[in-house]
Amino acid sequence: MKTRFKPLIILAAVLLLAALQAQAAEKIFIYNWTEYLPESVLEQFTKETGIEVVYTTYDSNETMYAKLKLIKKDGYDVAVPSTYFVSKMGREGMLMKLDHALLPNMKNLDPELLNKDYDPDNAYSIPYMWGSTGIAVNTDEIPKEQITSWKDLWKPEFKGKLLLQDDLREVFHMALRIKGFSGNTTNPKEIEQAYLLLKDLMPNVLLFNSDSPRLPFLAGEVSIGMIWNGEAWMAREENPAIQYVYPKEGASFWVDSFVIPQGARNPKGAHAFINFMMTPEVAKACVEEYGYPTPVTPAIALLDTDISSSRTIFPDAGIIKQGEFQNDVGQAIEIYQKYWEKLRTSN
Amino acid sequence: MNILRLFYFAGIFFYLYLPISVLVVNAFNLNKYGMKWGGFTFKWFTAMLGNHSLMEAARHSVVIAVCAASLATMIGALAAIGLNRYRFFGRKVIQGTSMTLMMAPDIILAIAFLVLFVTLGIGLGFWSLLFSHITFCLPFAIMTITGRLQDFDPNILDAARDLGASEKNILARVILPMMRPALISSWLLAFTLSLDDVIISSFVTGPSYDVLPLKIFSMVKVGVKPEVNALAALLVLLSLALVIVSQLMLKEKKNHENTI
Amino acid sequence: MKIDSKTRFSIIVLISGWFILFGVIPLVLLVITSFLTMDPANLVRLSFSLKAYSQLLIDPSYIIVFIRSVKLALITTLLCLGLGYPFAWYTARMPPRWRTSVLVLLMIPFWTNSLVRTYAMRMVLGTQGILNKALLSLGFIHTPLRIMYTDYAVVAGLFYLMLPFMVLPLYATIEKLNFQLVEAARDLGAGAASAFIKVIFPLTLPGIMAGCVMVFVPTMGLFYVASLLGGARQLLVGNLIQQQFLNARNWPLGSATSIVLIIFMAVMLIGYGLLLRRFGRGKGISG
Repeated sequence: MKTRFKPLIILAAVLLLAALQAQAAEKIFIYNWTEYLPESVLEQFTKETGIEVVYTTYDSNETMYAKLKLIKKDGYDVAVPSTYFVSKMGREGMLMKLDHALLPNMKNLDPELLNKDYDPDNAYSIPYMWGSTGIAVNTDEIPKEQITSWKDLWKPEFKGKLLLQDDLREVFHMALRIKGFSGNTTNPKEIEQAYLLLKDLMPNVLLFNSDSPRLPFLAGEVSIGMIWNGEAWMAREENPAIQYVYPKEGASFWVDSFVIPQGARNPKGAHAFINFMMTPEVAKACVEEYGYPTPVTPAIALLDTDISSSRTIFPDAGIIKQGEFQNDVGQAIEIYQKYWEKLRTSN
Repeated sequence: MNILRLFYFAGIFFYLYLPISVLVVNAFNLNKYGMKWGGFTFKWFTAMLGNHSLMEAARHSVVIAVCAASLATMIGALAAIGLNRYRFFGRKVIQGTSMTLMMAPDIILAIAFLVLFVTLGIGLGFWSLLFSHITFCLPFAIMTITGRLQDFDPNILDAARDLGASEKNILARVILPMMRPALISSWLLAFTLSLDDVIISSFVTGPSYDVLPLKIFSMVKVGVKPEVNALAALLVLLSLALVIVSQLMLKEKKNHENTI
Repeated sequence: MKIDSKTRFSIIVLISGWFILFGVIPLVLLVITSFLTMDPANLVRLSFSLKAYSQLLIDPSYIIVFIRSVKLALITTLLCLGLGYPFAWYTARMPPRWRTSVLVLLMIPFWTNSLVRTYAMRMVLGTQGILNKALLSLGFIHTPLRIMYTDYAVVAGLFYLMLPFMVLPLYATIEKLNFQLVEAARDLGAGAASAFIKVIFPLTLPGIMAGCVMVFVPTMGLFYVASLLGGARQLLVGNLIQQQFLNARNWPLGSATSIVLIIFMAVMLIGYGLLLRRFGRGKGISG
């Protein structure tokens, strides 16, 4: 009889231990893009506030959205959707209204990036970082002069060699711009034309990667593809041959913002975290680590000149004008999604 | 012919062990990308231990694996006894379900569990993970234990009954002790299955309970992480230990049988 | 006797309850979900629809993924069988002391986390991986082979994970094989080939089929192998299902895909059962 109960007792003890440790400290759960927030910043936040951070990552807006839809209560406290997902999630009642009184550091933000169409008065979101999607080239393999436009990715010599972002809006942006349309079009005809163009591109595509597109470049697996400016900058730190190109049809620009999903269990901690992320020193650390431009204006003055003058990180006004900021496309997103799925399954 | 055979075995084992060896060697490699040997280091093991979320996920995984293995073994033992000793309505259905659960690809169980938890309104986290793990380990536990039960000499049970033992006592005093080796191997099998599972866990857990395979998955998708190498080396050692333990157990069982 | 029936009763209730709650009900819910309507804002809308099935069976792109998936699983199974059969055969014919060691050596990788092993495969197959390094330095090739992100890499990874599932059932059958039958055939003048075809193969067929089922079935669902080693093409049904549930949020379509997969598997298993029975009877008559 004695031996029979031993496993039960052990089990009970283990369960108890698990339950006890779960309620040890105040915590916030952050759900963010892969490689988008330095570990050191999280540690500093815990040190300053005593709030522990549980950090999980995703590789696409859709995955994040699907997960948030699934988890109604006891969910994440902070997520970082891109522009058009902020409006979509706000519309669907998935986000908590922000309490601006708890976010005094908002004064540090660039007014150009506040009160945008996708979130009037920043009711739901605070911009974290912004950036662009362009082309990365390994100049050891392909001369940089040969690559100037999105159209170059369609060249037959890149058959089975291309890396694309695993992001429908960015991939469609490319084709829409080649066709001379807006990357934010809601016109089904234009989207269809872009789809037909992309279909021709599929034989060139080796892989989709939105986790960390620079790594296949660094590992020598690909030498040309779509990339975010920050990833390109990080890649160049390790291999100077990898260069970033702003395509002449215009790069895609985006903003990723902090939001607090409904069902967050620690909204107060989430506010504290978002406020913390707007301090200039913290924003500076993020730029230095990942090479994306920050909306926290005072942070830019703190940066070394080789970073603050890098055209890869901080594009000049002309390049921004040439490109286009990603915007909400409303219901048209379903048309995009339909074609996107066709692309992903048919090749 | 013999040389050919030797080459063949060497080839297969080379294929099986080359990737693991590369991992273990790289766990001690100072060179971050593991393409060249940069010198010996324990740095990555320290980094791994310092990686708070990785360690937390590891703790979660062990807790789940221990709980799931223990409960699956207990329920599995009862189920094996029930299915073997009792004839009741629905017995075939249970056997069929158990078979289906064992044969179905993990992905199907994963979404079936997800749909169940969402329908029942059970939040995704510790409990959903535990229930799923117990359930997918259960058929294997039943199989292992049934195998042992069928080797029993039914005369012993009859003797116990003739001597006036109640059903409860027969279970506790006769069947359970005789099943011990099977219980242990079932536990080890369930433990490994639970620790190894990626597919089901990735569907049924939530933010509050990240487990090791998922953490590893998100880390390796990004690329080479030396901490993962260190962790992988540890896991290889762990499985080595488990195999040795189960082998010893098997030997003990055989010796035991021989003495009877 | 009252206590007896109570013990009995509680055991039966526990196991029936568990299997109904976590076995039968989830599968029923899955079937129901496949007939519902997708709702972009919520998960599903509670109205009957056959859209998921019509989409699945009419849209050629899904059929292509299915065919590709079956092809890949088949190649993996045949590879495992071709390379696993001699392994099981020679192992079963070794002296017992050796046998255990060989099996333990086979089991160690098998007990290691499969994700970790897939990841390890990546370090071997990469453009700058061990394999390319070795081939380059031996002078067999001059430019690195592209293996990563191709179907070859996926097959290599699947084979690596699934081989023990083929070897173990084969070994179990071969070990029980009456080798005197083989010797008798040889004595009666059968060549090595015809002894194999006429005697050994039929006698080990149950093991072969068990192994094939154990390799083929799970392979189609191993989405993480395809997503770690494979490229842009959607390779496995598993990836399709995962995509529908965790990304595109089309639960009816994901459920319908898995139902089709289940039916496909069931047909295979029934076929396996029938073959086994027929084969068993045949043996009974001739013996």
